[in-house]
Amino acid sequence: MNRYLKAVLGIVVLFAIGLVFYFMFSAAYGDGLERTMEESGIQEQGPFYTAPFAYGEDYLAALVAGLIGAGITFGIVYAYLRVVRRKRSEMEGNETS
Amino acid sequence: MHIPDGLMTPEVVAAGWLVALIALAFCISKVNRRVDDKVIPFMAILAAGIFVAQMVNFPVWGGTTGHLLGAALATILLGPYAAVIVISVILIIQCLVFGDGGLTALGLNIANMAVVGCLSSWLIFRPISRKSEKTGVLLAAWTSVFVAAAVTAAELTISYDMSGGAYGIAGTLSIPLMLGYHALIGIGEAIITSAVFIYLWKVAPDTLRMRIGKKEMAS
Repeated sequence: MNRYLKAVLGIVVLFAIGLVFYFMFSAAYGDGLERTMEESGIQEQGPFYTAPFAYGEDYLAALVAGLIGAGITFGIVYAYLRVVRRKRSEMEGNETS
Repeated sequence: MHIPDGLMTPEVVAAGWLVALIALAFCISKVNRRVDDKVIPFMAILAAGIFVAQMVNFPVWGGTTGHLLGAALATILLGPYAAVIVISVILIIQCLVFGDGGLTALGLNIANMAVVGCLSSWLIFRPISRKSEKTGVLLAAWTSVFVAAAVTAAELTISYDMSGGAYGIAGTLSIPLMLGYHALIGIGEAIITSAVFIYLWKVAPDTLRMRIGKKEMAS
């Protein structure tokens, strides 16, 4: 388990450093699809649904957004797999009994 | 490459949902039968790691940025079925919590980035890795981005032609632009994916043996 903790810490630190690049580059330029839309003169419409969070306007906000997102992602995948695992061992238990 | 609301025709959007739901149901049924205690924390950490890695943009030629897709990395480490689930969960959270990619376009985004991204990585990685794993990783990562972009360009073109220009982008523009930019973004994907793969190979080689269904696929 210790190794996983280290992996998480490594990810957080790398992300914190990498976010500097995010603000150096992505503020001015869009990604591949956004650039394609821009060069084709397509205006992005307002979203159909408004999300509760955004990626953040400054370094700290983006860092918090990243941590929230990583936490939610980890939680959902972990909880889902645990439920699957428990259900399966219950089923296997029933088969052998 | 997150498609926003209102870019594609409703028909293309519906087709995306259909592909996404069928593929997810299939992958969930495959993974549910094989998940074991060892792979659970690894899969969850990898998902969280790819989420944060996707937020970090790198510049490519021509004033464009790219960010990691992670489909190839997840496929190489977890196998294609678990990878489709991991990337889909990330896309769902990005859409619902952070507004990255439209809610109506979520099906398309799952179809393009999770299903096409992971499947194309696997089709390249599986045969090439038998000769050289590192070459397999590099090519699978580049291919995943390029093929996902090609499929997105095709959807833009189909949307444009079906709607007479009300939706999508004409193929004369969308195909060369999407392929050109993503051929470059794919190089970034290949470099990052290879770096993570080599790092794990050196530091924690046992994580490379967690691929779900690896035994039966290797045969």
